[in-house]
Amino acid sequence: SSHEHKLNFRQSKEACLSYIQDALLQKQWKRAAEFLTCYVESLEKDYSREQIGPSEMIWRIGTEILWHHSQSSMKEFNCFMEQMKTLGVKRYLKVCLEHVFHLLCNGQIDEAYQNLSLAESWRFGEQTAIQDKEMKLIEAYRGLLDYYSWSKQKNILLEHSEDGFSDLAVEQEMHSYFRKAAVSLKEIIKIPGVWDIFVKCYVDLLEFYGDHNEARQVLNEYAYNSKFPANPNAHVYLYQFLKRQGESKKSLISALKILHDIVPSHELMIDFNTMLQKSKKRKKHLLGLEVIFAALDYAGWKENAKAWSCLARQVKQIVTSEKHLDWIKQEWNSRKDWWPAFHFSRFLAKRNWQENESLSYEKALVAGILLGKDCKYFKYVSHQGCKAQLKRFRMLKKFVNRHNPVYLRISG
Amino acid sequence: MEFPAVLFPSYFGAGPPREDGGPAPVAGWGEHGQVLEGGPCRRQAQPAFVPRRGATGERWEASDAAAVPVLLPSAGCWIPSPAPQDILYRGGLCKKLRASKSRATLDFARQLGHFFVDHPEDAFGSLGQLLHKNFYLGNSMLKVTLCPGITVLFPTHPLAILNLCPLLLGCPRQHLASRLRWFSHLCRDWLFEVPLGLLADCLHEELMQQWSNLLFDDSLTGGALAWLPPEDGGTPVGRLVYPGGKAMNHLYFQDMVLEELPRARGSPAQFELSGRVRQVAAARVDGEDFVGVRSDYHCGVWRVPGRTGATPTPLQVIRTDVPASCLTVSPHLPGELSVCTQSGTIYLWSVETGLQQLRHDPQTMFFRDHSPWRWSDFTAHPRVLSCADRTGLQCLDARAPKKCHFDLFKVGEEAGCQQGERVVLPMYLGRAHPSQYLVTTQFSVYVLDERLPLVPVLKWAHMMKAPPLFAHLMPGNPGRSHQVLLGASRTQELLLLQYRGGSRSACQLAGTPQKLQSIMGCLQHLPTQLPHRQHLLQQRLAAPAAGLAATLQEDGPHKSMLVFQLSEAGDVFCQRLTHKAAQPPAPPSRDEATLAPGSSPLFEAPASSPQGLGAAALRYRRWLRALSRTCREPPQHTWHPSLSQRRLFTRRDLEGPAGPSSLQRQMHQRLRQAMQEGSRIQHWEPLAIQPPPLPQTPELVGGPDPLSARLTAAWAGDWEQWWEERTSFSVAQRQRALRERRRRQKRARGRRSLSASFTSSLTYQSELSELSDAGPPLLSPGHPLILSQEGSPPAGSPAVCSPPASPAPDEALLSSQSLRCRGIPKERRKTLRDYLSVWAEGPPEPPEPPGSQASQLCIPSSQSQLSSASQPRRKRPRMGF
Repeated sequence: SSHEHKLNFRQSKEACLSYIQDALLQKQWKRAAEFLTCYVESLEKDYSREQIGPSEMIWRIGTEILWHHSQSSMKEFNCFMEQMKTLGVKRYLKVCLEHVFHLLCNGQIDEAYQNLSLAESWRFGEQTAIQDKEMKLIEAYRGLLDYYSWSKQKNILLEHSEDGFSDLAVEQEMHSYFRKAAVSLKEIIKIPGVWDIFVKCYVDLLEFYGDHNEARQVLNEYAYNSKFPANPNAHVYLYQFLKRQGESKKSLISALKILHDIVPSHELMIDFNTMLQKSKKRKKHLLGLEVIFAALDYAGWKENAKAWSCLARQVKQIVTSEKHLDWIKQEWNSRKDWWPAFHFSRFLAKRNWQENESLSYEKALVAGILLGKDCKYFKYVSHQGCKAQLKRFRMLKKFVNRHNPVYLRISG
Repeated sequence: MEFPAVLFPSYFGAGPPREDGGPAPVAGWGEHGQVLEGGPCRRQAQPAFVPRRGATGERWEASDAAAVPVLLPSAGCWIPSPAPQDILYRGGLCKKLRASKSRATLDFARQLGHFFVDHPEDAFGSLGQLLHKNFYLGNSMLKVTLCPGITVLFPTHPLAILNLCPLLLGCPRQHLASRLRWFSHLCRDWLFEVPLGLLADCLHEELMQQWSNLLFDDSLTGGALAWLPPEDGGTPVGRLVYPGGKAMNHLYFQDMVLEELPRARGSPAQFELSGRVRQVAAARVDGEDFVGVRSDYHCGVWRVPGRTGATPTPLQVIRTDVPASCLTVSPHLPGELSVCTQSGTIYLWSVETGLQQLRHDPQTMFFRDHSPWRWSDFTAHPRVLSCADRTGLQCLDARAPKKCHFDLFKVGEEAGCQQGERVVLPMYLGRAHPSQYLVTTQFSVYVLDERLPLVPVLKWAHMMKAPPLFAHLMPGNPGRSHQVLLGASRTQELLLLQYRGGSRSACQLAGTPQKLQSIMGCLQHLPTQLPHRQHLLQQRLAAPAAGLAATLQEDGPHKSMLVFQLSEAGDVFCQRLTHKAAQPPAPPSRDEATLAPGSSPLFEAPASSPQGLGAAALRYRRWLRALSRTCREPPQHTWHPSLSQRRLFTRRDLEGPAGPSSLQRQMHQRLRQAMQEGSRIQHWEPLAIQPPPLPQTPELVGGPDPLSARLTAAWAGDWEQWWEERTSFSVAQRQRALRERRRRQKRARGRRSLSASFTSSLTYQSELSELSDAGPPLLSPGHPLILSQEGSPPAGSPAVCSPPASPAPDEALLSSQSLRCRGIPKERRKTLRDYLSVWAEGPPEPPEPPGSQASQLCIPSSQSQLSSASQPRRKRPRMGF
């Protein structure tokens, strides 16, 4: 009967699909390709209205096979993609994008550009929300490629101007690339998302043409608009822009302060700490101490010698001046129950000593002050250092012994 | 701790997931996702792009055709957990329902029937005992005529009635037993110990629970297998931590020597725990391994010193009121763990300072979900823990858990989730990158970066058939790709993914995902067994996976990966993947050849091996031999015959009355007449007004035994008088009964040794098959004495559960008089007698003192069900409370 036939058809289709899946997952591309040719037949007979119809499957599986198949070529791939584009209207833009991505990854920038322009001009009825997004992405990528052309022209122009030429045609071409790139890049970075590369390129364009206000506005929007995700890069770009613009220390610090609030473990925290240390204000010094303590809370900073030397320097400063010991005390209070095991265990003392002597020196200084001269870490490292007849370790021992009462005041 | 300077572009939206949903079978293929400029420039002034997915990865190839067992099967047979066919309704209706994609139908009636058979003592126990003591009907039937024409025969022993119940309730052939239905209708009010409604409720609840467990059992999340790698630069001896034993309540620490195939060295350190081990988690801090073990109501932590051969020391155990759903070990601080319970509480557990409650919230975080499952793990900051439920992940600071927290992952538009997507397993990827996190859902796998919350830095649809409950990370060296293994439980799927980036460059999925061999996959390579053994083997190998562990092994230029997989049966299988340094353009793939059906390269002699067989094949030989040894001989005491109760009632007994009674005939006639005339029947009385048909006094078929007498008296209404007579009479009678019993016991002791000497197992087995009529064994094996139901034990015989103390019941059976009464031919009587004496005594082979036999017979029913391995019938799910 026809029902039975349908059922059998469906079953064999599913079995075929599972064979393909199996072959793909075991990287047996040839086998998968053979099964796929069988599966293609199902496309002709399939009238089901399932969400994921076989045409999408064929596109996905076929693409995957053609990526890896030893005998596939770019020409075949392009041909396949063109066919896939005509298979489903709803998927047209998506397939175009993926095709472009593949071309880009294979260095075929011009072909990719052509495809993008073609896709941009595609219209079919009313667009769905997803299609709208895809269209925006296509435009943005086209803008990105325009940007690369622009920067290529710019480089040519700069080279020429060094030689004393000025090529009007090249310059005009460059400007037209700028206009095209700017228009489409501007569009996408308005929509909430992660647009690092687009923002960077757009800002570069604006800066070149001297539109700093617009650039600042874009970067501020990207960093501070609450609809956008809390992307640390947005703040980094803003900070870098401000630095390039030669802005005041104050605005730089305030930019980094926000970065510190959202990502205390960011690598810029070392710069931030140094900047704060150089400041004359006491409040900034306190902030610097907080920043470096907070950074060292993170597992990723555990063996960062730079950070430890920042902390050691600041702690040493405070101890020798005997002012603001309460700062250390305050920071130490929330850490004293776990930093000893996290940073200053005997095991770590041994390992740090073996692997990075200067790290162990900085850490031993901090440990000696925070935990006293009887702390395991300090004892082991200073002992090893003295045994190895290193002068600075002897100095370290002396320093810590002299300032041992500080430890009582901090922990008390 | 660098952050990638440029991230892959992506949209970011807030809100619930998009409308489109459902699993996409191939959604993970053929997509680059996004591209980004990066990588080395090929041509000048030409940007080079890298894809988010589709970059080349490392190449790993399986070195054997199948996973190989690393440990010998543990002693004692494994009891498979219920399968869908055990719980689901079978039959035509089912097919129809399935065709219409409706929900599965649970076979409630069958389960209830199973319950009565498996746990008669729970269902009817004390009632049976009560009746047993006080009712004695002799060896006869009690015939009660309820109204003219309907006669019901009570078998004299109440337990006989009990055994009918499953037949009555879940009876597939009800049309055969309409009379029995009447019977059940009569007695259902008084027969059950547990009220039927309540029992049904509980059973239904249990059934639903079992079914949902079958669909998705989240208690296994995280996996119960851990690998403690060897110390850096030390001898290549690692440790495998896994549960074992019949109830999976033993914890083993086994030293493993890493050779071509890992080999167990010495015997494992073993700990017996008070619950089934659900999860084993391990982390190495300061050169010491900390192993956390979770069972439902207990969590424990062990410390394993780094040097080889050091014994693991248990440190602390906590008990929870609500089942714990998660236990993770801190990779930062020694002796710190995080525990979650199903009540929505999250604790930071420090061996030194005890438990600190971080959060208690029975509600889920982002939207309402019914699942009580919670998870928690550590993050880059040792004082910040992540907590997860099915709807997402949050990070909270243990120092101020109420104030300081942020959302890390939300099932919603933020991460581009599908509708119905739920978090299955979160895992901290600290060893790959301090701020990375893995989240798996039933559809996709996400890599998150704490520094960029809510936006997954990587997302890929994994296309696995079952949700990945286990994951294992093998960090690559800086600049290399990290390997992530995902494992599913029910389908045993294993998937190897590679990704790189996170610090300098943005995260990228490298290479194509690769399917690794599952335990089940080795079946096709094994030599064919006898059908029955093949079935057992298949069942064993198809057991759901229960854990996953892996390790990278670098031996000079050779790099290999060992993947361990634990099954619910307690087997640990291992496979080795070797790293292929360069990717040759198109090597003739070995796998493609081996996949041809029927070929089994595992057992083909490799040219290099002088012994003729590979190490893997030898392993298999040994494992198969050990398996058949453990499973072939069921422990002796669990041997039991199966009996049919079809003979309880003879055909004649079950026959209905010859025709309608005169009253009925009269009624029929009247009705017909009224219909013909078109008149009404206003009064249903017969024409001549008769007294209402009172139930007649029961006829006594057998002798006037006490119970019959009492019932008769009660029926007639002068029960009190009977009692008066009885009490005056009973003292003397009880004394007489006691004396009688002692005499019988004495006699029985003498006879038992005798019967044991001439009864061979062979004879009674053959007799048995005649007796049992090949019907399903409806008797609970734990209580073989139920057989004596037909013979009526004398008043005051002990409880059902302690049979050997009194051979009295079979005494009554064994008398040739009683056998003759039953119409058993003379030549059969002896065999039956022998057989029944065996029943009372247990298997005759080892002539043991009666005391030890008592313990043999009264084994708990769960154990005795082991013997079902020798039967073709599948074990029923245990529906115990």
